Amino acid sequence: MQLKNVIESPCGIRFMLDQLELQSGFARRWLLDAPMMSKCEEIAAAYDELHRFTTFVEQVDKTRLDTLLFKLQGLKDIRTTIKNLHNQAVLDDIELFEVKHLAILATDVKKLLAQQDMADAVEIPDLEKVIDILDPDGMKIATFYIYDSYCAQLMDLRTNMRQHPEQQDDLMLQASELEDGVRKDLSRALHPFASAIEQAQLALARIDVNLAKAMQIKQMGLTFPDLSQDGTTAYEAMFHPQVKEALAVRGREFQPVDIAFGQQPTLITGANMGGKTVVLKTLTLCQLLFQFGFGIPAASARIAVKDEIRFCIGDEQSVEKGLSSFAAEMKNIDAVIKASRENRKLLALVDEPARTTNPTEGAALVTALLQVLADKDMSLIMTTHYDIEPGKARCLRVKGFENGSMDYSLVEVQDGEVPHEALNIAQSLGIDSEWIKTARNLLESSGKTE
Amino acid sequence: MLPFINDILRYDSLSIVGLEKNTGKTECLKYVLDRLPVQTRRIAVTSIGIDGESVDQVTRTQKPEIVLPEGMFFGTSEMHYRQRRLTSELIDVSDESTSLGRVVTARALTSGKILLSGPSSASSLRRWMGEMQQRFDIDLVIIDGALSRLSSASPAVSQSMILATGAAYSANMTTLVSKTAHVVDLINLELTSDENIRKLDPLDKGLWFIDKDGTLHSLDTMTSLSKDIHFEGMDGCQTLYVAGALVDGFLEKVRKNKDLKQVELVVRDFTKIFVTPQQFRLFVKAGGRISVLQKSKLIAVTVNPTSPSGYVLDSDTLCGKLSEAIGLPVYDLLKQQ
Repeated sequence: MQLKNVIESPCGIRFMLDQLELQSGFARRWLLDAPMMSKCEEIAAAYDELHRFTTFVEQVDKTRLDTLLFKLQGLKDIRTTIKNLHNQAVLDDIELFEVKHLAILATDVKKLLAQQDMADAVEIPDLEKVIDILDPDGMKIATFYIYDSYCAQLMDLRTNMRQHPEQQDDLMLQASELEDGVRKDLSRALHPFASAIEQAQLALARIDVNLAKAMQIKQMGLTFPDLSQDGTTAYEAMFHPQVKEALAVRGREFQPVDIAFGQQPTLITGANMGGKTVVLKTLTLCQLLFQFGFGIPAASARIAVKDEIRFCIGDEQSVEKGLSSFAAEMKNIDAVIKASRENRKLLALVDEPARTTNPTEGAALVTALLQVLADKDMSLIMTTHYDIEPGKARCLRVKGFENGSMDYSLVEVQDGEVPHEALNIAQSLGIDSEWIKTARNLLESSGKTE
Repeated sequence: MLPFINDILRYDSLSIVGLEKNTGKTECLKYVLDRLPVQTRRIAVTSIGIDGESVDQVTRTQKPEIVLPEGMFFGTSEMHYRQRRLTSELIDVSDESTSLGRVVTARALTSGKILLSGPSSASSLRRWMGEMQQRFDIDLVIIDGALSRLSSASPAVSQSMILATGAAYSANMTTLVSKTAHVVDLINLELTSDENIRKLDPLDKGLWFIDKDGTLHSLDTMTSLSKDIHFEGMDGCQTLYVAGALVDGFLEKVRKNKDLKQVELVVRDFTKIFVTPQQFRLFVKAGGRISVLQKSKLIAVTVNPTSPSGYVLDSDTLCGKLSEAIGLPVYDLLKQQ
């Protein structure tokens, strides 16, 4: 799975990407094509590398950082040219220009990083020889043409052309044949460097991405995660950057949440508007960010690596597929159950399953789902409004509505009993009092008082 | 040297706009390029729209290739760069692609022929011009600006402008003068306030209005072409902005609406106005105001008195009448040479 496959996930990872200050379009493409990491060593190495860049971003003076960022804006996607070089094709002037431009850029960035003791953070191949080939006059500027110094005969022709403009068409033809010969020689000379040029392009993209991630960590107050060895995941003061920003716009503050889970299923209950869905979204987001090597939105995080992450959000409608919300949801959860039978480490986050159907069957479906998944080798976190038997699941409850305000923190409770706060919350929203009062009376007469 | 060459050098960008094919736009560009001090100023030239064929496909008349002087910078498509007949040094290859490939920027090391075909969208043209000025220290950018429906890039992003008109636009002298004068009126429309520019410039589609508190509102209708436009809930509307094309029907509705008597109608630039001279005059007569977000200073108008069919207007009479109508110098460049 690549980052581009999860970009539209309802967990909101697109926001993190949109906020990422990448300098080049090539780095963005490279990042979107990056596969999800699912090996501990790989993730650890990625974070070690990122760590170098976070320290660098914090310590380097602003002018130097800006110079480096500005340089990286010049990174272009020249994969087609590199492919032609690999295939021993004769490059044209535009392609030779691209190679020279990249070689000079790579060399400049290499020098800039070396000055900051960052030479080994990301290895950039040495392309001095490539520059030498494409810069016969040693000008060290990123422009290109078939220079006079490549061929004495060409130089004479061009002098002639300037002196005898009337013969220009004839001389031009002769010159272009000589130029073709030079291009052939240059392409042959560059061929052995094709792999190095390719690696340099990727290294520059990696530097661009690392710098952007590092700056995002600083700006959003993200943290570096610890890799969990025992299969448990724990966050302190976890937050959702997009929701946090949306709240800040309205002058409100995001209340961070502490949460931990392992292989035992976790059932989250709580009042409406208690942030249950946001918790699931944030857990999904954090897991994805972790496995794509980003900073984590929490005060601290210890995360277990997964092979597969599935987020089922209730109100997802697959209109294109012609499925109702219930059908779409059932299919999604079905995929979770199938995935749980495979021998892969699975994290499933299921938001209010079966909520759009009648409460009797809905509750049965949810209870059964918990039972079916309880013994599987997976982490399951599920929210619900149904009063169900938690079985082997551990229950967390949103603290809820207290003294006129919502406390979003999660507390562990012994059973899955759902809070009866819907009427109070509706009342606080200023909903029609006759409606609420009638509902209260109905509850009282049936003996199901709060 | 004609006076307008010195005028050109006072601005950092110039567009040369032809009102019709064969009105002498390319002749005008050649004329300007031949006379600019390339050795002392850094000058770059590009074209917007697809302007490549060496023979005009519509009228089969000969279309001169541009001869660039040594030292001049130019922007053209990859395809036309490969066909160039001059020695040039590449300085940049853009990320954006046109129908003829990416835009390539280079500097002529020998004088020679090239077909120009540059950025084709408004934003890419602006970006290219910005790059030229900031990264490559270019003193003057020249845009070969076809008023083409095929290109969304507008020549009005340049600070100054030369307009080429001629018998190809109309072979009747009176009609030619009045049609050209109408375009000149549009080019000379006032700029709106800086505050309006700041608010409206980012909006590239839809209809918008600004109320007396300075708040921006969107009208549900997307274009002024729509048949059912209702100006409701627009009390205190000060400014009405049409991001796309401004057409006759819309202008008439605004004129006849009593609540919009005081309104300032804003369009992006003169190329977005597709109203007949009659409607335009009625609107202005009724006290209506139209202003623009970007405008170019019109430096001069050139004429080509010969139509593609071979009909020739009297050059001196044409120059005289047109100059009188627009209050600007008018030149017949072929005659000047």
